[in-house]
Parts: sequence; C-alpha cells; structure tokens
Amino acid sequence: MDFPENLKYTKTHEWIAVQGAKAKVGVTEHAQKEISDVVFVELPKQGQAVQQSKPAAVVESVKAAFDIYAPVSGKITGANKALESNPGLINQSPYVDGWIFELEISHPAELNALMSAAQYREMVLQAPKH
Amino acid sequence: MTMTLETEARKLPLHEEHLQRGARMGDFGGWLVPLFYTSIMEEHAAVRAQAGVFDISHMGEFLIEGPETLFFLEKNLPRRIAPVKPGQAVYMPLVNDRGGMVDDIIVYRMAEQKFLIIVNAGNIEKDLHWFRSRLISGAVLTDLSEEMGLLALQGPLSQTILVECFGAFYKDLRRFHYKDFEGGIIARTGYTGEDGYEIMVPKEKLKKIWDVLFRVGEKHGLLAIGFGARDTLRLEAAMPLYGHELSDEITPLEADLGWAVDLTKEDFPGSGILKKQAQEGIRKKRIGFEMIGRGIPRQGFEIQKDGKTIGAVTSGSFIPTTGKNIGMAYVAIDQAKTGNKINVMVRGNPVEAAVVSLPFYARKR
Repeated sequence: MDFPENLKYTKTHEWIAVQGAKAKVGVTEHAQKEISDVVFVELPKQGQAVQQSKPAAVVESVKAAFDIYAPVSGKITGANKALESNPGLINQSPYVDGWIFELEISHPAELNALMSAAQYREMVLQAPKH
Repeated sequence: MTMTLETEARKLPLHEEHLQRGARMGDFGGWLVPLFYTSIMEEHAAVRAQAGVFDISHMGEFLIEGPETLFFLEKNLPRRIAPVKPGQAVYMPLVNDRGGMVDDIIVYRMAEQKFLIIVNAGNIEKDLHWFRSRLISGAVLTDLSEEMGLLALQGPLSQTILVECFGAFYKDLRRFHYKDFEGGIIARTGYTGEDGYEIMVPKEKLKKIWDVLFRVGEKHGLLAIGFGARDTLRLEAAMPLYGHELSDEITPLEADLGWAVDLTKEDFPGSGILKKQAQEGIRKKRIGFEMIGRGIPRQGFEIQKDGKTIGAVTSGSFIPTTGKNIGMAYVAIDQAKTGNKINVMVRGNPVEAAVVSLPFYARKR
C-alpha cells in the first residue's frame, strides 16, 4: 500500500497536499479499498466554508455513503469535476487524478494536528484486518 | 471517512470457503456474510449475463407435519394450500391479526400432510412464535434452521450448469417446483429476477455441492456472489425485502402483494382487515422510482412533492449494469402514478425523480 511522503493524513483516512496557502484533499489508498467501487461523489461548492473534521464531501459505493471530512478549516476554491462523470478515479488514482477538492487554508496551525506518512502508515497497518 | 467496527455475528457453514475466495465479510441481521468477493459491480453483471452462486444458509427452514397439517395451514395462511401439489411451492406473506406482515415465506408441499417452509433469517424467532401460538394437535413443527444449508444458483446459464452438475433429472423442473436432492431439495426459485435454482441440503453436504458447482461452472463464467449484489439484483427485479418494503405495520395490499393473498378463501389471520382495505382502497402504495437529478436514494430518505412529505424510501441503490440510481418507496396513493415527478430528499436537498412501473428489470423469456 502506498503512503506518499509529501502528504499529511487524518485519522479518518483523508490526505491533504499543502501548496502555500492552498491545499488539495482526497482519500487514501486504504480508504478507497475499504469503500470499494466508488459510484457517486457529491462535491462541495465553490466558496463554501468548511471546518476541520466536519463533512465537506460525500463519496458513495453501491452499498453506502461515506462522509469525507475536511482535514483543516478553510474556503473551497475548487473541486474535481471529473469525478462527477468518472467517480472510479478515486479507486484508480486516489492520490493524483482522484483528488476531491481544493481549499484555501484559514488556520495553518491546524495542520500540526495531522499525521505524517509514517504515523498514518502505522495506524493503518496496526488496525485489525477484515 | 468513518468506518464501521466489526461486530460479533454468527458464521455461515461455508465461512472458510468465503474467506478463501477473498470475500469482504460484513454483518447481515446478526450473521457474518460475504458482502462481495471481487466487486458488487462484477458480481451483479455476472448473474445477469452468466450465473452466480449465493450462500444463503442463514435463512430458516421449518417442517410441519401430522394428520392435521393441511387443515392447520389452510386456516392460517393467506393462500389456498389444498391445490398445491407435492413437488410444488408457493410464495406468500404471513399476515398478523392487524393485516400487517410477519414475514414473507415459501411453502413447499412435501407430501399430503407434510410441508417445508423457508423463512427469513431475521424472522425465525418471530415466525416460530407465530406458528407455535396457533398450532393445533395433529400438526407438529420442527425447526430445521440449524441443520439445513441453502445455496442459490442464479442466472441465464444456471440450467446448463445445474444439469452438468447433477443430471438431466433436474432439467425440466418448472418454476416454483422442486425435486428431492441429497436429503433436501432443488427448487426452481430465486431472488434475482433471473432463471435459477435454490438448493437446500443438510449443512454437512454444502461444501461438496459448492465445490461441484464451481468445478463445473467455472468454464461458464460462474462467480460466487455476495449479499451486496444480492440486494441490487432483487431491487432491480422489484422484489420486496423484509425490513425494507415489508413489515408488521404494512399490509400485503399496500406492498403490491395482493396477488399473493386470496381474499376469496375462508378466514385467516388479518383477512377481515384486508377485505375491508380492499373495499375501501389503500392509502399508500409501494412504488418504484428512478432518479433524474444527481443522487443515490437510500432507505429512510424522505419523499416530497411541492415541499410536502408524501412518503419515504425503503430501498435504493446505484445499479451496476444500467448505471441508474433507482429505489422503492411507499407514497400516498394519489402520488403513485407512473410518470409522476417527485423529490427525494438527499441529505436535506430535494433531488428530482420519477415514478416508474415495476419491475425495473425483467429477463427475456
């Protein structure tokens, strides 16, 4: 399983890629496997304010809907429209083509609460196997 | 994303076989069952195009026998039992005194005074109580649920596969008929909208049959199918599921199961209420709908028309082979007409849908 070094991670299996004042968000490879085939994505709206650890998007499999939480607070500056016609990108490329939304970070200090790749890897690999 | 924790649940007799095939296991009514092996998408498509095998051993089996059995069933079940011949089976709801549904069951006539009844796993205790509280002397009920296993072979190639496995003796079995097999039966029944069979045998024989089915079926594209695709297949075929479309508070007439109750027969539990309802007309009805706007309907979502609540979703899903988002619901009778535009409330937002005729999918015969 892949845990890119340049990302930060949440306990709820989102990743965030920080680039200056902005950041892209998606779900991890582990998360997409747990969700199974993604068949529907509900994206946040441009300009929408999101709060750390609160739902910002919804990803659905055939069986269930999963809330995607914002890793940090901020304002939505973009969303991956390609997911509306091709939600399977989240399964095929969770870290690149399957990114979900982009936001402008309002409290950069919130990033300190997130996990490094090594910490997240440890959490996932220690979790009981299904 | 939040993940659910695994709970203590009962294991199926073929639990190890499911793990060996890479199944993702999950809880279904207190049972640990395979949700999918490869993916719901692939498994749903396989049953529509070739064939699939389902382990449904969680289901309950009762045997009722003794000289008064026919009299007892005729008095308590909502369809005529006397015309059902040995070798034949019949589907119906069990009705409570209020006209609601205790369960939906299949009754198999084994002999003049001997009947097998297959019931939903989650209703075994409730059904046992329902039958036992009504039993008369001369009719004895035995719960075989612990001893019996059940596999379903479903899909357009299921006849070919079954005959290759178990012989031409089973070839011309008609729908809702069965023949004896290995201390149990093979019946031409199913829950997918496809041709197919359900195979009930003592559970120690399950593995042998499972293995034969796959050894023979592999070249025909036979796959093991989990409960995820079982649900999307039955939804597309508009077959109701207890706990979703059926409950103690819903009547067979509201559920569009009027064809499975006989209001011309002598009294049975709830018959007075059902006759009255048939006369006065139902106020709500089970319907099918297809989403027009973006969103997947799920059980419990409210349905509105012009901002007013008119009903609720009982089942809903994305359908792998068609890519459509569909559902079943109960709505007020004046809103149940095919073509009626309704709004499904998806996380608080109205999303447009249209009432469509059921089933969503019917195989070519």
